[in-house]
Amino acid sequence: MNKKLVSVTLSAAMISALLAGCGSTATGDTATAASSAPAAAATSEAAAEATSEAAATSEAATGTGKVYLLNFKPETDGAWQTLAQTYTEQTGTEVTVLTAADGQYSTVMQSEMAKTDAPTIFNIGNATAAQTWDDYTYDLKDSDIYNHLTDKSLAIENNGKVAAVANCYECYGIIYNKTILDDYCTMDKAVVTSADQITDLDTLEAVADDINSRIDEINEKFDLELTEAFASAGLDDGSSWRFSGHLANMPLYYEFLDDGVDPVSGEATIKGTYLDNFKRVWDMYVRDSAADPKTLNSGALNAESELGMEQAVFYQNGDWEFSALTNPDNGYLVTADDLDMMPIYFGVDDANEGLCVGTENHWAVNAKAPQEDIDATLAFLNWVITSDEGREAITTEMGLSAPFDTFTGDYASTNNFAASASKLMADGKTSVAWAFNATPNVDDWRADVVSALTAYTDGSGDFDAVKTAFVDGWDKQWKLAAEAAE
Amino acid sequence: MEKATKKYFPIFVLPTMIAFAIGFLIPFVYGIFLSFCKFTTVVDWKWVGLSNYSKIFYVNGELDTTFLHSLWYTALFTLVSVLVINVISFAIAMLLTKGIKGTNLFRTAFFLPNLIGGIVLSYIWLMIFNSVLSNYSKTIVSTQWYAFWGMIIVVCWQQIGYMMIIYIAGIQNIPGELIEAAKIDGANAWQLLTKITIPLLMPTITICTFLTLTNGFKLFDQNFALTGGNPAKQSQLLALNIYDTMYGTTGWQGVGQAKAVIFFILVAIIALVQNKMTTSKEVEQ
Repeated sequence: MNKKLVSVTLSAAMISALLAGCGSTATGDTATAASSAPAAAATSEAAAEATSEAAATSEAATGTGKVYLLNFKPETDGAWQTLAQTYTEQTGTEVTVLTAADGQYSTVMQSEMAKTDAPTIFNIGNATAAQTWDDYTYDLKDSDIYNHLTDKSLAIENNGKVAAVANCYECYGIIYNKTILDDYCTMDKAVVTSADQITDLDTLEAVADDINSRIDEINEKFDLELTEAFASAGLDDGSSWRFSGHLANMPLYYEFLDDGVDPVSGEATIKGTYLDNFKRVWDMYVRDSAADPKTLNSGALNAESELGMEQAVFYQNGDWEFSALTNPDNGYLVTADDLDMMPIYFGVDDANEGLCVGTENHWAVNAKAPQEDIDATLAFLNWVITSDEGREAITTEMGLSAPFDTFTGDYASTNNFAASASKLMADGKTSVAWAFNATPNVDDWRADVVSALTAYTDGSGDFDAVKTAFVDGWDKQWKLAAEAAE
Repeated sequence: MEKATKKYFPIFVLPTMIAFAIGFLIPFVYGIFLSFCKFTTVVDWKWVGLSNYSKIFYVNGELDTTFLHSLWYTALFTLVSVLVINVISFAIAMLLTKGIKGTNLFRTAFFLPNLIGGIVLSYIWLMIFNSVLSNYSKTIVSTQWYAFWGMIIVVCWQQIGYMMIIYIAGIQNIPGELIEAAKIDGANAWQLLTKITIPLLMPTITICTFLTLTNGFKLFDQNFALTGGNPAKQSQLLALNIYDTMYGTTGWQGVGQAKAVIFFILVAIIALVQNKMTTSKEVEQ
């Protein structure tokens, strides 16, 4: 009898422990959710007093809808959390922001989208992603964010709807150290006498070759510690996208133009018409750099620091490098005044070529969310790009260049490189579109191109293999992606 | 008492069973189901039958050898790592049970690498390998064989200490009388090892080979951090290959899932066979 009592008590204890376990898990979840949206608690009181304000800001802040942003850029997490809090205080709408770790976005998104309270705003990188998530993308044709978009080509259209709208744009080209280049121009027998004279690939090649061969002379004359003209062209996973993505964009873009297709949507088969130019530029990067061509994939190279520490003059990368290069915490020698960017001259249409301007950051709204959440989400996004708080956060705190017509005056970008892009556009140059956004199965395609490029560069393969990976690989991956989208 | 235990068995087992079902059984069955579906998120699926399985081998109407390559590459990797780890850790365990000076220090030192996580360990080794190899104009991902031996070294370095501890425990369990008796009968060192130590150590060997075997097959962290599958997916072990299919190729989540099912069946069969083989060699003391 006694034993029975003991065992019943024991089992009861166990079950209650189990239930308590469930309970505490649930509490834990709520705590997490609350911490990611710390403003949620303030909802009730703030809602009442903020109604008038909310009505002024947006038409749909009914308070019933929820906003859940799955943020793509880890570095902007803090700014988004603050922004979400401000919005909740003003309107009473609950805004949750979750940021995926770098490189983990698709993994996180896949699991988050499966939940009941799925993200209402998520990131779409390119046309292929829009295809994959077709069922989930809400048509943004009539939304405020689409109406405010200055360049409509920065939206992704898929299946007859505006699937996603760019929330920032970026540009890339060849970052160069203006001060060192100007110094070089004053030397005897310099190829050019002013940096402005570099307007095509022939000149760029001649200048880079000349700088690289006269390193010691330059160092002596200007008291520098230059080691190379071009910063190392690393082919490890942390850097190879600069070439398999950004440099590969050039041949793709010009080929799409020739074929008369939309450069950011691409086409099923490519011919690789401009791959010889690709080879020419790549050879220049490798030849005019101090890095050993055989070990470019080691992962030990740090091109950013080579430019930052004034060891290199040229460095192919984008405007997102501006903050890293000028951030005093990084201890780089270059300052904002030293930095400028020129187009990746490609020997095709150098006279008219501008920087490569585009983005992988597009907002898409979850079509499977309840209608009131969608309304709340659209109102929130509109607030972000029209309110002072939102614009301030995007321009200053996140340091982004936003493609909306509301970002003028004080809210224009402070990034040198973005300024170069605007200047070149104002000079009548044509910005090169981000044709690489059309890449089918982008990871797989790039991996093959990189491995062929690595073999070519270390001498164990030839350039034909790169062509095959580039052209036939495109064809193959396109078929696969199309098949998967059926 | 026994009767009471039997009677209340279900109640005591229930919490664990529920946890096991939620954490393992349900996802497992659901995972098998998903391998027959095309899905973007796990709740949003469409039944496609066996087409995921055929896509593992046939892509665009051509034979695709990526999976097969990673299959034999993994098999070879496992074979080599099981042999190397067990032989070396057994040898070290023998040495460290002889009562040499500083035994405890050595045991601790050998065990230490096991306390570091696979990713961190691999990044550290990556730097070491590449700085050494750069003298010869090579990197750890120059060819798939550099990557192979690189991974073997890292895995050995990490696991030898752990297996050594298990072997030491096993060796210390061998009764001293048996060894003494054998010595009196005139057995030499080799005979002692093959006729006494190893047969009596069979249960330990079973455990150690089982652990190293399954570790080898499901190795992911070290592969991911050290080589990332480079060059050209040539150094992808199965787990990384599955991960890559799941997240790298658009719309191929189902194929990744199908690969994972095949992977599970393979590991289960091999582990069972190995267990049976070594267990049958175990002897009663």
